[in-house]
Amino acid sequence: MVELQNVSVTYSSGVDALNNVSLKINDGDFAFVVGSSGAGKSTMIKLLLKEIDATSGVVTVNGYNLGKLKKRKIPEFRRTLGFVFQDFRLIPSMTVYENIAFVLRVIDAPLKYIRKRVPYVISLVGLHSKTNSYPDELSGGEKQRVAIARALVNDPQLIIADEPTGNIDPELSYEIVELLKSINDQGTTILMVTHEHDLVRHFGGRIINITGGEIVFDEVISGVDEVLPEEELAQAMSEAAAVSNTGNIILPDQRIMTSDGGFADTNGNGGVQQ
Amino acid sequence: MKISGIKYLANQGIENIWKNKMMAFATFCVLLISLLLVGGSALFYFNMNSMILGLGNQNEIAVYLDPATEVLRVQQIQAQLQNMENVDTVEYISKEEAFNRMQNQIQQGKAIFDYIDSYEFMPDGFKVTVLNNDHIEETTLDIGRIEEVQSASSSPQVAEFLRELRKVVSVIAIAVIIALSAVSMIMISNTTKASVFARREEIQIMKYVGATNAFIRLPFFVEGMVTGFFAGAGAFFITMAVYRSIFRILMEQGTLMRAFGVGSIIPFENIQLWVALAYIVAGALVGAVGSVVSTRRHIDV
Repeated sequence: MVELQNVSVTYSSGVDALNNVSLKINDGDFAFVVGSSGAGKSTMIKLLLKEIDATSGVVTVNGYNLGKLKKRKIPEFRRTLGFVFQDFRLIPSMTVYENIAFVLRVIDAPLKYIRKRVPYVISLVGLHSKTNSYPDELSGGEKQRVAIARALVNDPQLIIADEPTGNIDPELSYEIVELLKSINDQGTTILMVTHEHDLVRHFGGRIINITGGEIVFDEVISGVDEVLPEEELAQAMSEAAAVSNTGNIILPDQRIMTSDGGFADTNGNGGVQQ
Repeated sequence: MKISGIKYLANQGIENIWKNKMMAFATFCVLLISLLLVGGSALFYFNMNSMILGLGNQNEIAVYLDPATEVLRVQQIQAQLQNMENVDTVEYISKEEAFNRMQNQIQQGKAIFDYIDSYEFMPDGFKVTVLNNDHIEETTLDIGRIEEVQSASSSPQVAEFLRELRKVVSVIAIAVIIALSAVSMIMISNTTKASVFARREEIQIMKYVGATNAFIRLPFFVEGMVTGFFAGAGAFFITMAVYRSIFRILMEQGTLMRAFGVGSIIPFENIQLWVALAYIVAGALVGAVGSVVSTRRHIDV
């Protein structure tokens, strides 16, 4: 579980990266975090990884109060997380197997378990034939699958994926998100940061929009892939004023997208016609 | 951490040398050059010191006894001299031998000896060498206090000169060794930093997946230690070859070189164990510590 309570982050340069943000992601949730560059997404990720501390407020991840977490306890906390980077960050001198097994080595897992668990996870991401390949020998999509397998091998409660589709072909992006969705179906909480509205529109789910260091939108939408054009979703999610009190998104053409993904025209009196 | 974990990390360290062979080779070369610079300077200093001490030992005390001294008493005095604290060797020079030596030394006026038919007027004497040339004056005075000793003389100026020379050589040598050590440490530090910098991303990944600092550092420690060990071994073999060549050349010069104290150059066989140990321990230690310290900057993520 991830919980941010009135969290603000101000950098030493004076920049307010997050401003009084409150957020709760329950166990088993799948949430997209969207927002333009400089909106505060990276700061939030850094907070969740305990790379930086909040200037004020409380950050709780997987039961750890990060503000009170001692430095020597950080490795223990990070072992409850899986992390997928945009640029894969695989160790180039290690094979696919070694890159994944490495995580289990870190936690001093028994060799027998490593030999059993790693091939299983590799098969889950469909890379069985690439077990002994080095990262240089893989495509972007394959590298990201390895990164996901690495995040998954430790059976973490939460996987944070920071722009996991940012460096791969668009058609492969869907596969990656589907893979993350299937992992989520097994009960792992997934927090995926992205700026690809196509993906968000296609998959739907919980969408958290951060703009100017504040959460301007936090709703569950679904089934919108056929209806909502990308620009409209982008605009809707980036304009705070376009979100109604009831959580519906008011699109620029005054159409309303309801939280269940349906669309309606206003009847002129502020009501909603389904 | 389990034994298997430590074994795994140690293996990782050794594998990393091969995987990052260019940087490992650069570290090896820098360590090798540094060890040779510092080790060569140290050996040069030890030999200079030994040579000066050797020259000092040639500075002997000439002891002459009263010609009336009984043979038995001469023997007692020899034993007494031999037991003195700073005395190294005592060579007895009989009246006859002293006479012959004098004859040999005075070649120009050799004719004078045609008028001397007996060496009885010559005193018995001793040639005394000392252990520590710095105290030759005190030893000379002590010998002079023996009743039958007519004269005991040495050249304190030579001793003083050699003492000063040793001081100057020591100061210069130590300054050079310190300067070279400092330069070496900077070179090693920069090379290990570059080596670690090239793998900073690897370190960050380790931190993100929850590796402890010890887990990250151990392979770097092993890697630095093994590289340093081989650099130490390389430095030893190079030093051995060069040292032996120089030793042989100087020894071939014979008498002339001995006049400069070259006879006191330390044979490599006498010090090879210490040289090997010093090189290997220093190489391994500097390599290991240098690598680990260089990780510090990248480990805080």
